[in-house]
Amino acid sequence: MLRLAIDTGGTFTDFVLRDEASRASWFAKTLSTPSDPARATLEGIDRLASVRPFRLADVAQILIATTVATNAILERKGGRTALVTTRGFRDVLIMGRSKRFDTYDLWLDKPRPLVPRRAIFEVDERIAHDGEVLQPLAPESVAAAADRIAAAGVESVAVCLLHAYANPAHERAAGDLLAERLGRPPRNRPVSISLSSDVSPRRREYERTSTVVANAYVKPIVGRFLAGLEAAFASLGFTGELRIMQSNGGLTTPALAREYPVNIIESGPAAGVLASRATGARESVEHVITFDMGGTTAKVGVIDGGEPVVTSTFEVDGVNLRKWSGLPLDVPAVELVEIGAGGGSIASARLGVVSVGPESAGAEPGPACYGRGGGRATLTDANLVLGYLDPESFAGGQIRIDRPAAERATRAQVGEPLGLDLAAAAWGVHRIANANMERALRSMSIERGRDPRDYAMVAFGGAGPLHACALARSLGVPRVIVPRGAGVASAIGLLEAERNFTVSLTRTLELDAAGAAGELAGLFAGLETRVRALAGGAGRPIAWQRHAHLRYAGQGFELRVPLPPGPIDDETPKRLREAFDSAYEGEYGYAQRDQPAEGTDWFLTGRPGEATNPGTAAKASGGGGGESGPEAAPAAGPQAGARGGEPSPRTVEADAGSDADTVPDNEGRGGREDRLAAGTGTPANEPRAGGRAPPEPAGTVTAWQPGAAGGGTWIDWPVFDRGALRAGDRLAGPAIVAEPESTTLLPAGDTARVSGEGNLVIEVSAKEPMERRERRERNA
Amino acid sequence: MNDERTATVDPVTLSVLWNGLVSIADDMGTTLRHTAYSAAVREGDDFSTGLFDARGRLVAQGNFSPGHLGSMPWVVRHVLDHFAPGDFEPGDCILLNDSFMGSGHYPDCFMTSPLFADGGLVGFAVNIAHHADMGGAVPGSQIVDVREAFQEGLRILPVRIARGGDLREDVLRLILGNVRLPDIVRGDLLAQRNANAVAAERYAGLVGKYGLDLVEAGINTILDRSEARMRELIAALPDGTWSHEDFMDDDARTGEPLRFHVEVSVDGDSIVLDWSGSSGQVEAGINSYINYTRAYSGFAVKVFTDPHLPQNEGVNRPVEIRARPGSFFNPQFPAPSSGRAINQIRMFEVVCGAFAKMRPEPAMASFSHWSNPVIGGVDDRPGRANRPFVFYDVIYGGYGGRSHKDGAEALCPVFNASNIPVEVHESQAPVCVRRLEFLPDSAGAGRFRGGCGVRKDVELLASRATVSLSGDRHRHAPPGLAGGLPGARGETVLNPAREAERLASKETRDLVRGDVLSFRLSGAGGYGPAAERGEEAVRRDLADGYVTAGAAREIYGFDTRKTP
Repeated sequence: MLRLAIDTGGTFTDFVLRDEASRASWFAKTLSTPSDPARATLEGIDRLASVRPFRLADVAQILIATTVATNAILERKGGRTALVTTRGFRDVLIMGRSKRFDTYDLWLDKPRPLVPRRAIFEVDERIAHDGEVLQPLAPESVAAAADRIAAAGVESVAVCLLHAYANPAHERAAGDLLAERLGRPPRNRPVSISLSSDVSPRRREYERTSTVVANAYVKPIVGRFLAGLEAAFASLGFTGELRIMQSNGGLTTPALAREYPVNIIESGPAAGVLASRATGARESVEHVITFDMGGTTAKVGVIDGGEPVVTSTFEVDGVNLRKWSGLPLDVPAVELVEIGAGGGSIASARLGVVSVGPESAGAEPGPACYGRGGGRATLTDANLVLGYLDPESFAGGQIRIDRPAAERATRAQVGEPLGLDLAAAAWGVHRIANANMERALRSMSIERGRDPRDYAMVAFGGAGPLHACALARSLGVPRVIVPRGAGVASAIGLLEAERNFTVSLTRTLELDAAGAAGELAGLFAGLETRVRALAGGAGRPIAWQRHAHLRYAGQGFELRVPLPPGPIDDETPKRLREAFDSAYEGEYGYAQRDQPAEGTDWFLTGRPGEATNPGTAAKASGGGGGESGPEAAPAAGPQAGARGGEPSPRTVEADAGSDADTVPDNEGRGGREDRLAAGTGTPANEPRAGGRAPPEPAGTVTAWQPGAAGGGTWIDWPVFDRGALRAGDRLAGPAIVAEPESTTLLPAGDTARVSGEGNLVIEVSAKEPMERRERRERNA
Repeated sequence: MNDERTATVDPVTLSVLWNGLVSIADDMGTTLRHTAYSAAVREGDDFSTGLFDARGRLVAQGNFSPGHLGSMPWVVRHVLDHFAPGDFEPGDCILLNDSFMGSGHYPDCFMTSPLFADGGLVGFAVNIAHHADMGGAVPGSQIVDVREAFQEGLRILPVRIARGGDLREDVLRLILGNVRLPDIVRGDLLAQRNANAVAAERYAGLVGKYGLDLVEAGINTILDRSEARMRELIAALPDGTWSHEDFMDDDARTGEPLRFHVEVSVDGDSIVLDWSGSSGQVEAGINSYINYTRAYSGFAVKVFTDPHLPQNEGVNRPVEIRARPGSFFNPQFPAPSSGRAINQIRMFEVVCGAFAKMRPEPAMASFSHWSNPVIGGVDDRPGRANRPFVFYDVIYGGYGGRSHKDGAEALCPVFNASNIPVEVHESQAPVCVRRLEFLPDSAGAGRFRGGCGVRKDVELLASRATVSLSGDRHRHAPPGLAGGLPGARGETVLNPAREAERLASKETRDLVRGDVLSFRLSGAGGYGPAAERGEEAVRRDLADGYVTAGAAREIYGFDTRKTP
């Protein structure tokens, strides 16, 4: 069975084709075409087919990750959106929670809302916190809002009425009225409507409004993106299953992604984290810092003990990584910090210093060196000037890059304004980009109590391996792993994902109250109906997982606690209560067993296409799990169980230095990129025949070797072709490892070996190369 | 101090250690927020945390409220005045809320816990939570209209409230017997205990990992470097003395305005803020005890030097705060002070005015004054079991126009808490919020306009209740700066749709079911002449409804017919 994974980033689109029978994989990469993403997709498929001939008609499943939604928000390029809210509360979105993200900085500003005040309209209605209707919805006020929305030329409307989580009736009625009035003649322009009670029915009006507005804001762009893909795939005869990665690491259907695009905001990054987890597992590392740097942004995530952390709320477009600085989204996501630092980040001289990002040149027009009309100097231009990128093979050799153009832009826009020569200007851009990324790394590690020395960094994305060693050194991370296919790792991560649907509901329920068991059963039966509707095919096997947000009655924050497995019976509330007390004690040191406890939010996750495993994911009461379904093909590949079930990664022997000829066991949890081929089709991680001859560089390149105090010299760096490296090969920096989708920079002092898995495992020297040289000079 | 040892901490370890200390303070805050019961703490972020070494030196604080943070070092000194180091055992918690020892009013309860590693005392964790009620004349224990502190509620001098991590039931009885919301107060005290327990575990882990010698050497380095940096920043300011003053409406009793006067003196690498020229202490619950004065003075100095300086004792060393004993900013017990929170905005504005005279940038016109009403009583709606309630609210308007941009809208001024969601308030107290929106044309005009005032209307759903009002700028409008115009004055109106009675900015009233309190915050001051405001900015404000067509025409001379 063939599966195709496509990760559409802001700058590049990455492709992985995997044959599940032989476990062989093939990679490709193309420039994204944001104005028509389907075009890049088709180009990539052609490119892939030129390496490994296949027809889309033979592909069982296509998996998509995309940053179109995130980028629309970061760049404020979403659809023109209006917000409809309760009269008297027009300014909830603009007021936010009113807290400065930095106590001592009174010069900061709040994030710019996605909807300006002029596009926020009020309707007459009011619902109380318990769902009681205090004032019925006045249809004429909705009609008036609709007329003003129509006049404003809006594409998408968000509706968030007070207390809609408790009673969605008014939102539904208002949504229907708006759709009807906006869609009928003479306008005939269907406008998509997002209701807060559908998107995120949780208490707290600002957070809910922010979430539904983000949903509405990205809906038109995501809709066009998916429609374009579906049409393109259909034209090539694709009849298989299309699935989209969600922020929480699960897969969803195109229809649901279109309706709830806020759930795919962190789609690509989530796939990247899954890929890092798989890489870490194969190298026997369970504490991983994931570092994903592409053309537009850098993303940092963490895997603790083999599991990525999932949050039920996160912020997008934050400033300096501070809480309250971004737009809150109350939807589940793999925990990540993301900053506007990528290859395309624009470099400039601002206030007398070098500034890099967050503005990005993207793929169109792209960095100056692309020669596509983008005259702005970028980080990629700086890296090209420094000699770290090969003009001939950049992005698989398909983008002609023009070094003189990079030099001109860097000199004119950074060097001359600051009085720096070309090399100093380019190195300044490189270093400032590193400093920006270091902050993101610190916030995920040190600032959250994680000692970087206990972690390995998995570096990927087109630009990640170029910056990883320097970053690891400044943070004290002792080891960097550059996975096979680092330039397309997020796409590989898609193949590691499973399909799931999570639905939730806010309802306050005292666990100690009489009748709690009955209420729980009813509540989860309702959620189960929703999951089944989402999952389609009624009779399919579904693995279930239930969670609750619990607190002691009177508190305002909740702990996420799994419900005990098995059908809900009279004992369930009591057992849930005990589980909560223990979790609370674990988290905060003390339980309050004499205090009443209550649940506020209830979550049900269904994983279709899997056999129910009663040990970990029990089905909800009345569930139909275990029946055999009409659809035979499992939604996810053989690795899927790793996430939903008990994680039991087979330990893969680490390369201890003496096993260069050993290829570890290929059984176990599977997914190892055995007999993996790079985009060129070169065999990959077969051990080098004849043992231990050191690998030969493919050539040398003159590149910048930084020295003390911003100085440095041009030296010759050996360049190795990653496709020619074999398990057990060892390299010492300075060296450059080039592969079609990515370039690894191995600074002086760092050493690398190719593991049995084909990953590049780098031991990072604790000292800056310049410090070491100075010491040597002192000693001499 | 052992400077030999200081030199031995390598940079990587030092940065991990430093961040580790700050992250402990942050984690304490997360624990407190997540396990607290009162809306003020868990939604309004009205709490703070800090970490001290065994000598009582402030080592790290979380990104919380400056009034609390700046008082904390003095809290630890008072605790150490009352307990010998040998008295402490693991799991102890010492509670105090005295206005002089703490942060100036009784709702702010500080809990200090000794931290141990290897059986030895290695430091202290401190947190403070604003409690929903501490007894006294009104629900919420914040009232301006009193004569002496004894009317304000229960005063707690340092007392051991927990042993071995468990709250002492006898002490708890004494406290809970004097407050209106015993369940919530008890829950918040437990949350405070939890926060310190997290610190005890994390700090012991840090000491276990790096060793006490290294941690102490690291702390010495951190404090010395922080001090050196602060001195460097102060040295970069011009030497000299600058003073500024402004007035609060009144003290709710005499009708006389209150003079806030500060003198800022820079001498080499140290700075003095002296408040002695201000009004004398008043017989009204609004005096600013010295810790509160120190806290917001230190805050302002940090804002005008480097907002990103660390929060520790080193940074505080070069800064001295003075106020004449018996003055408004250094009152003597039993001066009442429970409504002192409204002072901090004006304190900052006055220091800001002095700095604006010292140098033109950065500078900011006056804030839209916030409002801090507390409504309390019994929830006698059907099914509510006559539960006592306290509706504690914080309403924020805009920032003054700044020397390079407009003032921010609806952002917490100075002390930095968050607002409380309407949906949370309504699910807990018998109130219905009728509206929460910007007031068009309230902002002070200027090249960079101020933020708008905010209107919030709250209806009482219980049969009766008492409200304590705590606001300002009803009489003295927020001034503009550098030629900018003042913002509109604020007002508080009872039953705007009926008799529309205007209330004073600070008073206490009884309410009955159906009464609507309409809070209208002043607009913030503008910066620079209004005539210099760009046409595009006026057009944008007009389209967004921040200014009306009439005001755009009259104040900015904007021809509304040109609007595209």
